[in-house]
Amino acid sequence: MTAAPQVTGREISNPPSDGISNLRFSNHSDHLLVSSWDKSVRLYDASANVLRGEFMHGGAVLDCCFHDDSSGFSASVDNAVRRLVFNYGREDILGKHDAPVRCIEYSYATGQVITGSWDKTLKCWDPRGASGQERSLVGTYTQPERVYSLSLVGNRLVVATAGRHVNVYDLRNMSQPEQRRESSLKYQTRCVCCYPNGTGYALSSVEGRVAMEFFDLSEAGQSKKYAFKCHRKSEAGRDIVYPVNAIAFHPIYATFATGGCDGYVNVWDGNNKKRLYQYPKYPSSVSALSFNRDGRLLAVASSYTFEEREKPHEPDSIFVRSVNEVEVKPKPKVYPNPTT
Amino acid sequence: MAVMFTFASHLTVVGNRKYGMKLESLTLKGTKMIVELEQECLEAYRRKVEQASRCRAQLWQAVADSEAELAYICAALGERPVHIRQKEVTAINQQLEVMRARKYERRSKFVEVLDQIRNISNEICQSSEESIRLTVIDESDLSLKRLDELQSHLLALEKEKSDRLKQVLDHLNTLNSLCVALGMDFKHAIREIQPTLDDSSSTKNISSNAIGKLSAAISSLREVKIQRMERLLQLQDLATSMVELWSLMDTPVEEQKMFQSVTRNIAASENKITEPNNLSLDFINFAEAEVLRLQQIKSSKMKEVILKKKLDLEELCRKAHMVAESSSALDCSAEAIESGAIDPSYLLEQIELQISKVKEEAFSRKDILEKVEKWLSACEEECWLEEYNRDDNRYNAGRGTHLVLKCAEKARALVNKLPALTIDVEALISKARAWEKERGFEFLYGGVSLLSMVEQYSILKQEIELERQRKRDQKRLQGQLIAEQEALFGSKPSVKKVSRTSTGGPVNHRFSLGGVMLQTPKTDKNTLASHAFKKSSTVKQPDMRNHHQTGSINAQSSVVQNSSNASNVHEITTPMRKPLSPVSSALFSKANAGNIQDQNTTPDAAVERTLCSNTTPVASPAKATAAAHDENRTPRKMPIPMPTTPSSVLVAMQTAKTPITPCVPHGGQETEYSFEEMRAGFVLPNAHSKSLFQV
Repeated sequence: MTAAPQVTGREISNPPSDGISNLRFSNHSDHLLVSSWDKSVRLYDASANVLRGEFMHGGAVLDCCFHDDSSGFSASVDNAVRRLVFNYGREDILGKHDAPVRCIEYSYATGQVITGSWDKTLKCWDPRGASGQERSLVGTYTQPERVYSLSLVGNRLVVATAGRHVNVYDLRNMSQPEQRRESSLKYQTRCVCCYPNGTGYALSSVEGRVAMEFFDLSEAGQSKKYAFKCHRKSEAGRDIVYPVNAIAFHPIYATFATGGCDGYVNVWDGNNKKRLYQYPKYPSSVSALSFNRDGRLLAVASSYTFEEREKPHEPDSIFVRSVNEVEVKPKPKVYPNPTT
Repeated sequence: MAVMFTFASHLTVVGNRKYGMKLESLTLKGTKMIVELEQECLEAYRRKVEQASRCRAQLWQAVADSEAELAYICAALGERPVHIRQKEVTAINQQLEVMRARKYERRSKFVEVLDQIRNISNEICQSSEESIRLTVIDESDLSLKRLDELQSHLLALEKEKSDRLKQVLDHLNTLNSLCVALGMDFKHAIREIQPTLDDSSSTKNISSNAIGKLSAAISSLREVKIQRMERLLQLQDLATSMVELWSLMDTPVEEQKMFQSVTRNIAASENKITEPNNLSLDFINFAEAEVLRLQQIKSSKMKEVILKKKLDLEELCRKAHMVAESSSALDCSAEAIESGAIDPSYLLEQIELQISKVKEEAFSRKDILEKVEKWLSACEEECWLEEYNRDDNRYNAGRGTHLVLKCAEKARALVNKLPALTIDVEALISKARAWEKERGFEFLYGGVSLLSMVEQYSILKQEIELERQRKRDQKRLQGQLIAEQEALFGSKPSVKKVSRTSTGGPVNHRFSLGGVMLQTPKTDKNTLASHAFKKSSTVKQPDMRNHHQTGSINAQSSVVQNSSNASNVHEITTPMRKPLSPVSSALFSKANAGNIQDQNTTPDAAVERTLCSNTTPVASPAKATAAAHDENRTPRKMPIPMPTTPSSVLVAMQTAKTPITPCVPHGGQETEYSFEEMRAGFVLPNAHSKSLFQV
């Protein structure tokens, strides 16, 4: 089961003591920000394998993101949105939602923090007005359902909620969703992630499927969309389907990795509709994935995601593996596909 | 000395009178005394004179002495000798200096003022001798009064100068507006009048000469403007007539728009036309050209109008059954217009007049005409009936006979009313007579005298009546004959048949209906069939409800359920998508059922399809192994089983479209929760009672 360390990558020491909700590489360094159900936000130096800092919150932390290399934000079950300054170990509360905050993103385009919560709202925050909610809150935007996942690219914001709703916003005009969609997949949305080129987004569901969607609403644009199956297992004539927890696009090749509850990480080429690589199985569900800024490192959170309620499970761990170019580089088709 | 003598003589006179009587005796002695007295007086006087002259000499001496002494002392002291007279001179000299300075000052003031006066008067070009008189300084009169006088003169001059400047500017302004309105080059015009006026920076020439030139130019331009106005007025007249013609001809607006530049100024008065270029020669020429064009158009239009009117007239005449009298005269006029012999507008007027006349007449003829019409139609009906009656086989049954019969019935009813009509005819005749009497000419109906028509008719009628009488007699005879013959040989069928209306119409109509009836069922069937087909194709989505459960729990697939459905599922399952082909929304909606049938050629493939479509729910149903490759049927390339060890072999994505009608609990009674919500024990506030996942 456990593969050789060089295959799974280096395991980070001092991992969180409970489920890892998200991890993200910095845009400027190989620092890794990790949020966890153990109410902590941890900052690791992935290349040095050192725990750089830790913040303890009042509740489990469901998401985190970087602001710049020295500060970040966290979204917590205690409804609070926090700003964390790593050098001084300082944390400010930007504001609060009415329910646990599920996801958080920082928009470099607008300089705002965007949070989605189970209170069925999206909130935008100005992190500079850090001394009180009334000054930092930019706007509150009601969503049809509880927000499960957010993704940003440029000025576009994709919001995936319960009930398979997908709202696409233009950050410059948040008053109204630019597009209101329903997920192409039949089942609950797990994760959305925008293409790095800004033309669409990938959406994964609890039922081992990923849908590739495009913002362009024209006939031609919509004809490109498709969905594919992944993270499944055929066992004794039965198909076991696993939730797809995480999607991460490679910053250079625009190929993407998906992580599922089957403990596998697959790398896909969306343009050629090919699976490029499958990494060896991780001890537990893959709950989060992140490529570093140059795409040479991939952080994998192997952590039970509570898909089968409380049960004994493998310890939560973080692996950072170096990515071989061949694993993520799109390959031209070997021979022309007769059907296309 | 003389005084003394007179004194002495006086003395003697007095002595003589005084002493004459008393001193006669003493005469000798007295005279002697008097002489002595006289002597003494003279002596005293002489002494006194000598004393005085001596005193004066002594004084002179003393002065000379003291002067000499002063000189001496001064010399001795080494000082300049002080002369009393010199002091006086210096005092006077000082006074003189002061006065001279004052005079110089005053003079310079004079010069200054006079210079200014000279400059201004030069600018204004006043009469020279006056200016000379003024500009030369009268040295003898430099009084303040004079200066004041000059200064007031200067002020007056300055005022005049500013007045003139204003005047010039006024002139320039009016000139400018005139030039703009006339489309002339203002600068050029100015340069012609006075070169200095052109340059706005340098001082303006304000001489009366220049002003005169300016005002002359303005008046000339004004004259030009008025001239052009006159021309424009003509244009306006033309434009007005054009507008009238437009309304007459119903000219389209687009055509009118081209001339709006002309017509816009119809109502404008002289001083209102200040728009730039509005009176330039170009503009006027353009307008004139336009008017020429318009006139040409107008003449052609006129022709059209006349023709149109003529048509109207003819139509009116036709309606009133009148003969258009002068149409021939009008006809030739069409050529006359082209040759220009007749003024088209005059002709138009004539036609209008005629039309109104015809209208009037038509109105007066109206009730007579109504009666005539009624009468004529009755006559027609009568004729037809007559003919019909002549047909012996009219009651023979055949196609369309019933219609003919109906016609006959109607005609008979009408003819039965003929007696009343004859009264009508009488009334008609009387009315027509009255009309003729009133107008003084015959009532013509289509060029024929109505009265003669009626007369002819009555004659004809009488003839017919006679004929009928004759026929009746004959018929009676014949009837007897036939009856005899029938008794002998039987009846004989007639051949001729009267048919008034084509029976083909309605029959055909019925046939065509029948044709439609025959054809439509076919198409109906088709559409029905397709409808039914579509229906059946859309209905069969398996209606299985899977309750949402947690992620990767193995669940039994409902194979049995599926197999029971399998038979009717064949043609309705989701379209088999070729692998890697895009998921189109059309496919999602499954509108094209035809495609489905094409693709699902093999029944067992379809069965497998249904299986996989049912196994997809989250409940992670088990699935036949075959289904995996079946779902994304790559014809030649089967999906490679997922490698558990790293491999760089490219694996095609198992792209597939997701079935519709999801069994996701959303919208149902149960609220879906994500793993995180379950773990956090988050429960929607409004779903407390229903929640299954409370921790």
